[in-house]
Amino acid sequence: MKPNAKPATDYDAAHDAIDRTLAAEEELIPSSGFLAATMERVRDEAACPKPIPFPWLRAMPGMVLAAAVLVWCGFELAQVGLKSVQEISFAQAHLTAVDIHALEPAGWVAIALVASMLSWLFARRLAGRSGLL
Amino acid sequence: MPAAISAEEDRNDVDRVLAGEVQAFEGIVRRWQGPLVNMAWRYCRDRGRAEDMAQEAFLRAWRGLAGWRRESSFSTWLFALAANVFRSELQRFPAVNVPLEDVAEPAVPATQHEGLAGKQSDESVRRAVLALPHRYREPVVLYYFHEMDVAAASRTMGLPEGTVKARLARGRELLRKRFPHLNQQNTPQLRSTLRPKKEVLQ
Repeated sequence: MKPNAKPATDYDAAHDAIDRTLAAEEELIPSSGFLAATMERVRDEAACPKPIPFPWLRAMPGMVLAAAVLVWCGFELAQVGLKSVQEISFAQAHLTAVDIHALEPAGWVAIALVASMLSWLFARRLAGRSGLL
Repeated sequence: MPAAISAEEDRNDVDRVLAGEVQAFEGIVRRWQGPLVNMAWRYCRDRGRAEDMAQEAFLRAWRGLAGWRRESSFSTWLFALAANVFRSELQRFPAVNVPLEDVAEPAVPATQHEGLAGKQSDESVRRAVLALPHRYREPVVLYYFHEMDVAAASRTMGLPEGTVKARLARGRELLRKRFPHLNQQNTPQLRSTLRPKKEVLQ
């Protein structure tokens, strides 16, 4: 359909009217001070010293050390955990009521951690959808 | 609009800015201030805010000038960057909170002065664009900003043309449903101001 052709139906006419209205918007002329104000901000930005880059070289030994400690901690924890699991499953195959009572808070902590993790993932997903992340 | 602006001048100015000549950026601002302020205006319909948003877009362009890879034209890069800036600005502080159903439909022109009625009607339609759901609003804004050029709008949004066309069709459909009597009200007076269409949807 050409722009100035006679609309065939009310449906086409409505679309044509919307096109005409939205396409025929008057041009806005920027205010007289816009250019000067923008250039002033640009000059200010140019005059600012560049941000100091992160000292990767200096931080490297510390980061390597931290990573090593983290790996060691993880390894130790895994060993202790594995040992405990083996003890529970083999040496104490039947948990006593006292043991179950002692494990109950740990269960709640685990549930709370999982719930926190899920809510964090959900919030991240929502924020991502809205373009915040 | 941008068609008349020299790509060569843009390239030269960008080279000079990247070589350390801050003042060369003024040429870029001078050439593109009109299009960017008008684009921002279509996003928010608030003159003061449009200038603030356009200024922010120029500042981001200044910071990221080295990121223009020259595969696309400077205008494509600048519009895409500006669209990102405007989008995030409006996400932080939305332009309108009025639902589409609450946008006032223009009164019957016979009861008013025709010229005034026409202007009010146009403004209602333009404001209604801002009340469209986000995914349909931007394609509508950019399609008409780029003089009904779907390809240019899709480049600015960084979306495939098909997606832009589909969203545009839906956005226009929502507007048509909101203003069912629009064709009877302002067809004659607006016909003379219509710009040439580059692509017709549907």
